[in-house]
Amino acid sequence: MSETADLLVEIGTEELPPKTLRKLSEAFGVALCDRLEAKILGAHQGTVYATPRRLAVLVPEVPTNQPDRDIERRGPALDAAFDAQGNPTKAAEGFARSCGVEVDHLDRYETADGRWLLFRSTAVGESTLSLLPAIVEEALARIPIARRMRWSNLDVEFVRPVHWVTLLYGSDSVEVDIMGVRSGGNTYGHRFHHPQSVALSEPSEYAKTLYGGAHVIAEFAARKEVIRTQVEEAAESTGGHAVIDEALLEENAALVEWPVAVTGSFDVLYLALPDCVLTATMQGHQRYFPIAGDDGALMPHFVAISNIESSNPDTVRHGNERVIRPRLADAAFFFEADQKKSLEERRDSLKDVVYQEKLGSVYDKSERVSHLAGIVAIAMGHNPDEVKLARRAGTLFKCDLVTDMVGEFPELQGAMGREYALAGGEDIPVAIAIGESYMPRFAGDTIPSSSIGRALSVADRLDTLMGIFLIGQAPTGDKDPFALRRTALGALRIMIEGELPLDLHKLLKSTADGFAQFSDSAGVVDEVMEFVLERLKGYFVDQGVPVDVFQAVQAREPREPYDFAKRVHAVDAFRKLPEAASLAAANKRIQNILKQAADAVPEKVDDSLFAEDAEWNLAAKTLGLSPRVRELLKMRDYTTAMTSLAGLREGVDDFFDNVKVMDDDERLRKNRLSLLQSISNLFLETADISKLQT
Amino acid sequence: MANAGYTFLFPHPCRDAQLPPAENSDSQRNVKTFQGLLLALADYWGGQGCVLLQPYDMEVGAGTFHPDTFLRAIGPEPWGAGHAQPSRRPADGRYGENPNRLQHYYQYQVAIKPSPLNIQEMYLDSLIWLGVDPLEHDIRFVEDNWESPTLGAWGLGWEVWLNGMEITQFTYFQQMGGIECRPVTAEIAYGVERIAMYLQGVDSIFDLVWTDGPRGKISYGDVFRQNETEMSAYNFEYADTTVLASQFDDFERQCKFLVERELARPAYDMVLKASHSFNLLDSRHGISVTERQRYILRVRAMSRQVAQCYLDNRRALGFPLLHEAEVLNNV
Repeated sequence: MSETADLLVEIGTEELPPKTLRKLSEAFGVALCDRLEAKILGAHQGTVYATPRRLAVLVPEVPTNQPDRDIERRGPALDAAFDAQGNPTKAAEGFARSCGVEVDHLDRYETADGRWLLFRSTAVGESTLSLLPAIVEEALARIPIARRMRWSNLDVEFVRPVHWVTLLYGSDSVEVDIMGVRSGGNTYGHRFHHPQSVALSEPSEYAKTLYGGAHVIAEFAARKEVIRTQVEEAAESTGGHAVIDEALLEENAALVEWPVAVTGSFDVLYLALPDCVLTATMQGHQRYFPIAGDDGALMPHFVAISNIESSNPDTVRHGNERVIRPRLADAAFFFEADQKKSLEERRDSLKDVVYQEKLGSVYDKSERVSHLAGIVAIAMGHNPDEVKLARRAGTLFKCDLVTDMVGEFPELQGAMGREYALAGGEDIPVAIAIGESYMPRFAGDTIPSSSIGRALSVADRLDTLMGIFLIGQAPTGDKDPFALRRTALGALRIMIEGELPLDLHKLLKSTADGFAQFSDSAGVVDEVMEFVLERLKGYFVDQGVPVDVFQAVQAREPREPYDFAKRVHAVDAFRKLPEAASLAAANKRIQNILKQAADAVPEKVDDSLFAEDAEWNLAAKTLGLSPRVRELLKMRDYTTAMTSLAGLREGVDDFFDNVKVMDDDERLRKNRLSLLQSISNLFLETADISKLQT
Repeated sequence: MANAGYTFLFPHPCRDAQLPPAENSDSQRNVKTFQGLLLALADYWGGQGCVLLQPYDMEVGAGTFHPDTFLRAIGPEPWGAGHAQPSRRPADGRYGENPNRLQHYYQYQVAIKPSPLNIQEMYLDSLIWLGVDPLEHDIRFVEDNWESPTLGAWGLGWEVWLNGMEITQFTYFQQMGGIECRPVTAEIAYGVERIAMYLQGVDSIFDLVWTDGPRGKISYGDVFRQNETEMSAYNFEYADTTVLASQFDDFERQCKFLVERELARPAYDMVLKASHSFNLLDSRHGISVTERQRYILRVRAMSRQVAQCYLDNRRALGFPLLHEAEVLNNV
């Protein structure tokens, strides 16, 4: 085993983009280790560090040299290498020359296919020190960066301008020109607390040295946890608890090297604003953490994370309080001004907001969605009063788009609609539905909690899908400018996780009816259906369901996503039973037999025509199971039904072992086919399990 | 000579290179007045070798539109300039009633090409020059990339936070008028009203002290409130949309005409006029969403043509500033 030493590479930069910082550093770590391996320096797992001004990777125990390698090169065949007198030919001499040796020094090599000249040598491994410049350069080039930038008059490109590169291998610093700077063994501390260079005794001391004397917590995750603790403690000091959004915590960790929590306050009168507005003001603009009391309501305090141990912390606190004040004042002004007009009164303004050029205004969309939400609500089994609520919610759910508050905080669309609906005296379910109409907003987000909210969100999504497909803008390849995949998945999740027995195909037809200007939409309905089913496949695959399970169910073309999901779960459970493999094979066999049989198969099995014990037994077993299974299927308890059917395995195996289906006697043959058909049908009620790849 | 022999408080990592020390500031400005603040910034950047310009004499939406930023960012010639620039944003007017929003306000604009490697440190030192101690205040560079659809331009950079308040836009231009920026210009746009409010400790722009001298105290409101009220009325209520739309067409036509005659500077003025007409139309809600997009594309097409024309003209002149810069670099 050769000697090893630790390797540290740090790129010192101007402030990096906070939302991609962690990914950048991880990609750098992977790229560096990948390059080390490519240079035959072994497989490594580096530790990555990331702050706003640095990306670093520490790789322990990198061999100091590449291993020596034996090299073999085959030359000309012996027949061609020597003439009759045994003297080397031109070919042999040429080969020797190319290897840098005399012909005498070449070996011979023999296999069943023939005999050749062979050159053997040992390539001495290069030193890691000499390889490092290329390794680092290549690793940096491989970091995926959405937008590389140039600076000054340099030819290099990176995420942000590079100011230093620390390259330390063991106790050796490596000096080389990278990214427009000369690398060395020193790093630099905090921009203000410790702008001077910092000497590192060895790579493994990196994080400790920066923390100890240079006011930098280099580890991203550690810094994030420090912030969490600081925020929680700061909040407790006000008598509340911090509202910590993980993404915001992550962003704050990417904005500071030396976090120092600052607690600030604002005028209690702003607490009259809805919590969503307060939170958006604090989080969105300022990256502050709101503080809530024991009752969950927000308190007039916040925690900001600064990057300085201020000589006068009050300055930082006052400053932050001064910033939030006018923002809250603006929000309060919008909130009051917006309420001078009801949502209803804002409807006409939606006529001026283009939804999509060929699909009309947002007003037109809300009209369609309102109608469709009613249809969905009816299909969900709602009574006429509730259906009216769904329609009303559809009428109003886009009206908040033309309020000043949503103009200022676009992320509050829906949430403000809800607030203004409540303030305007709309029925509570209508307000809740408006507030939930955008849910789920992203993968993993919750679906609407209210039934009317679900109807509205489904209607809105189906309208979007149908509209965009009708104007020929369906997603292709990677391009999905209208985010239809997410839209479709959201609709599916609501139907499945909300347990809504909705016939998707039928709903899509109703949706298409809303687009009067497109006369021929029948084909598009099928297109959308197929598109949504494709998303459904992804949905199950993401849950770890094998594709063949999905295909087994899809073969039956269930039109209700919820029903589809139940069947998928039943088949997925069935697949794991010991009987599954044999029964899947049997079903395949049955289908082949039935396909090949020329006979018309009678519907009923005739007991009197059984000649063998095995068929008698199987028929009895099937007959015994049938009523129970049919009952279960009626209740759509596919899982129990499939588990019951698993009990047929022994009988089916026994049947195929002992009974010749294609008997010469037509009556016996037809009766046997009939028995098999009835068994196959029982399975097919749930799924075509012959599709299972067992 | 407070600024003479000035050395950077924050050494630039890994480099000894420094711009020549500032030498022209022999007075401590009173940065607690608005005009003192503007003068102090001029002193500072003048000391860094920047050409101290006056504002451009036409309506622009931001300092970036000043021809000595937009056009000078194009091509290989070095440049360094600083100046205050009034920015006109018709839709931001609030009739002088909102303490934080104006339709006419100032930026202190600095543009330097190639961006000095220690430009961040130079900027931070300008804050120290204004009396902001970075060990007391929380100063941060927070990602905020810039894109101007009308200028066919984009850049990467930050907004600079002072205790959570945005006080400056800091951008490395990557493209201008559709032309790649090589070398890269660094643009620093100070939000001077905000900085002044901070330094003076007032909550309304209109309460800012503009000057406090032998002729007494004059506030920002004294100078500009009536302007805000009346201009807001014009911007929102009385600007004639028919006239503006036809003016836009005229400016566009003239721009094309002038570019054909290789007159980049007057053609660029037409871009500015068209752009301002468009901003007014927008604040009058005189254009639909689709039309709006079309207008933006029309301005962009103009600025691209002008950018190319300017570059061609400078090339024809042999990039006069380039030579001098090479001499300087060899010193």
